[in-house]
Amino acid sequence: MNDILITLLIIIIKLGLIFAVVLTMAAYLVLAERKILARMQLRYGPNRVGPFGMFQPVADLIKMLTKEDVCPAGADKYLFLFAPGLAAVTALMSLAVVPFGPTIEIFGQQVPQVVCDLNIGVLYFLGLSSLAVYGIALGGWASNSKYALLASIRGLAQLISYELSMGLAVVPIIMAARSFSLTDIVMAQESLPFVLIYPETFLIFFVSVAAESKRIPFDLPEAENELVAGFHTEYSGMRFGLFFVGEYINMIILGSMTTIFFLGGWHGPLLPPIFWFLFKVLGVAFVFIWMRGTMPRFRYDQLMHFGWKVLMPIALLDVVVRGGFMVWSLGG
Amino acid sequence: MLDNYLPILVLVAIAFAFAAGSVVFSRLVGQKKPSVVKLAPYECGMPLFGTARDRFSIKFYIIAMLFIVFDIEVVFLYPWSVMFKRLGMFGFAEMGVFIVILFVGYVYVWKKGALEWE
Amino acid sequence: MENLVQAALANVNFSAIMPSLVLVCFGMALLLIGVFSRRGRTTHIAWISIIGLVITGIYTYIDWVNPETQFGFAGHVAQDNFAVFFNIIFIAAAGLTILISDDYLKREGYPISEYYALILFSTAGAMWMASGTDLMTIFLGLEVLSISLYVLAGMFRNDVRSNEAGLKYFLLGAFSTGFLLYGVALLYGVAGTTNVADIGMYLSAHKAALGNPMTIAGMVLLSTGFMFKIAIVPFHMWTPDVYQGAPTPITAFMSAGPKAAAIAAFLRILMFGLPELHAEWGAMLWLLAVLTMTVGNFIAISQTNIKRMLAYSSIAHAGYALVGLVAANEVGLSGILYYMLAYTFMNIGAFAVLILAGKQGEENLTLDGFAGFGYKRPFLGVALCVFLFSLMGLPPTAGFAGKFYVFAGAVKAGYIWLAIIGVLNSAVSLYYYLRVMVYMYFREPTEDYSWISMPVGAVISIVIALFGVLYLGLLPDCVMEMAKMSIF
Repeated sequence: MNDILITLLIIIIKLGLIFAVVLTMAAYLVLAERKILARMQLRYGPNRVGPFGMFQPVADLIKMLTKEDVCPAGADKYLFLFAPGLAAVTALMSLAVVPFGPTIEIFGQQVPQVVCDLNIGVLYFLGLSSLAVYGIALGGWASNSKYALLASIRGLAQLISYELSMGLAVVPIIMAARSFSLTDIVMAQESLPFVLIYPETFLIFFVSVAAESKRIPFDLPEAENELVAGFHTEYSGMRFGLFFVGEYINMIILGSMTTIFFLGGWHGPLLPPIFWFLFKVLGVAFVFIWMRGTMPRFRYDQLMHFGWKVLMPIALLDVVVRGGFMVWSLGG
Repeated sequence: MLDNYLPILVLVAIAFAFAAGSVVFSRLVGQKKPSVVKLAPYECGMPLFGTARDRFSIKFYIIAMLFIVFDIEVVFLYPWSVMFKRLGMFGFAEMGVFIVILFVGYVYVWKKGALEWE
Repeated sequence: MENLVQAALANVNFSAIMPSLVLVCFGMALLLIGVFSRRGRTTHIAWISIIGLVITGIYTYIDWVNPETQFGFAGHVAQDNFAVFFNIIFIAAAGLTILISDDYLKREGYPISEYYALILFSTAGAMWMASGTDLMTIFLGLEVLSISLYVLAGMFRNDVRSNEAGLKYFLLGAFSTGFLLYGVALLYGVAGTTNVADIGMYLSAHKAALGNPMTIAGMVLLSTGFMFKIAIVPFHMWTPDVYQGAPTPITAFMSAGPKAAAIAAFLRILMFGLPELHAEWGAMLWLLAVLTMTVGNFIAISQTNIKRMLAYSSIAHAGYALVGLVAANEVGLSGILYYMLAYTFMNIGAFAVLILAGKQGEENLTLDGFAGFGYKRPFLGVALCVFLFSLMGLPPTAGFAGKFYVFAGAVKAGYIWLAIIGVLNSAVSLYYYLRVMVYMYFREPTEDYSWISMPVGAVISIVIALFGVLYLGLLPDCVMEMAKMSIF
């Protein structure tokens, strides 16, 4: 009984910590994005609330909480209410398998720095990223708005298209680590991060991840100048907030996955592992923001062409060549 | 084995609580002054026309179908990718046959124009 | 684990599915050749598919010469004589169909290259049904066969009837597959295996399981699934519409190849998996055979569209084949094999003549449309007469020998009444087959049939079918010996 309680306690403490950290991170990622973008465009960015605009996220939160919650006429009410929750929940759920650091010892207990090290961690992550599609699809469809519908259909097609190459790019990594467990994958990179061994796989993965994050240059589902605000045109208040938070959590997750699969996870010299992990994730997030500040948007046909006619075959070829090489080097 | 998944259960509960809680809280705190115009779907302030429950291009259906085919391919690759060492050359050959078959389908689909967007 | 891989390797044995493997490879190649060819060019694709079928035929011949049964995929597939004999039927059906297709497709304005690939795929599916010794393999074959056929039936996209045929076939096919799978599930629940022979062994070892309602229900549901495919009354409702709406060569193909495949799988399951239940399924099939023959023939009488008439007559022919299954003795079973081969030749031959006689849209394929046909087009007229005689079951044609063996089997097994009803039904069928000939020879021609061209492929096809019908009719012994060697 005691054991179970302790396990449960550890779980809740861990989850609480992770929630607090990730939600804060997500909130401040928004601020960071605005600041960095502003600097890139020779502006100041938010600087009124608190020193350097540090309290801007708090102000945003209060604003969103107190705004009116509008459900447009003719909307499919339940789906409309459900979709943002789904978006946020699926994003949050992926956190469960992210290993932030190696197992450490606290009060004589072996505590791995991961909520649970599933032996199918990779599949869990990919499954959830497939589920994330539903948030967009249902939200856009339920709104009873043409813009939202168009955006959600576009978004659906884009997400599922790039999911293929993302899934394919993970295959060589699994082959190298011979495990679906994310912890094992990080362990396998103790000496050398996979990005150095599989640079082309990394590129495929990174591009797919950028498309999965629905950000510029792949932000077709939210293209402001043609679709108002994309699939969340009709959302307001905290529901919009959930979509928003979900998106930034998703960015953190995708950054973490890039870190885990290719950048060696928590491995790094001198500093404690968890710092390395955070550092790398934020680095990936910074690149995302940087891309947003630099790049124009794809046209939709270009987007689909690139996904299906360029990325997919290259990813498949990569799997075959890398796989063939690995099988051959085994005992050929 | 299953207690591996206990944390996930807790996580789901917390995540749902977070999502539902924040929305419910904003409902309680926020104001409510609905009006006909406010509740109308946004169309740049113009009067509404048509319906949002319209049919959309068949292309998206095709993409969805192709996705299923190729996603299954990817899913089949995973078990092989963890076990490829034990399956050896045999497994690789089998995988190769599988990939070739799908590749034929891919080329076919491409040449048929299912991947074209104009 | 290492052993597992070794065992899997040893079990695969690709040579057991060599013919269908060739077909599938050719099918895939044809798909690619098709998309890389200029639009509307399909002749070379038709001939390449013929080459594929010839190669398949060579492998089938090798399989036939090799007396040993080849097992493959851990006992899921057995390339025994039975399977090989049916392979011959499928190859004949597919080959004849492809030969008559090219000009037809161009005339109707649908030169679609996938057509040939789909025929090859469905033929491969038919082969898996005939050689499958596991219910799952049989199901797999059935799906490959059916899905290709759904597309083929609805291939004329701008034709309402073809659309109707495709959709109807698809919906009812999916429905019947559901029955079939449910039956498989129930039998698996009883016997704990999906292997046909193992189910048979389990049932003979555990007599108590025979009375289990689950066994009976499984058998009935499984049979229902197959009966949909074979188009046995009362599961025949889709047949006339689908046969009339589908492109005519596909109608010819569907009534020969896939029907034979379903009969093959049905036969194997009943004889190997459920021989202990012979009393039950024998009684059921007795009744259905009588119903099928009678309903098929009597409705065919009132048809004026010849394509539709042949559709109903194909229902009746399925009934004749069932007679052999009811008998379940050597003569009856080998009679079925013989009958299916004979039916392939005579039916596709008859359809080949119809295709040549039809105008675009085939509105003229009515009885009136054939007035005086025999004089204006003597070769086609004689050929059609031979095929119709054979369909009636008159000597010296293949149909006579086939019916003779099937009914002889029934008499031998003691089903005298069944044989009598079968013969009476053949007499009924005389009416509507002869009526076509009456129109062909005893009515003043209203047309000069000048639109009929004689493309090479169709002529080859008709000649082969004529040869088959006459050879099987005049010298039945050789093929009958083969058929006898082919049953278990």
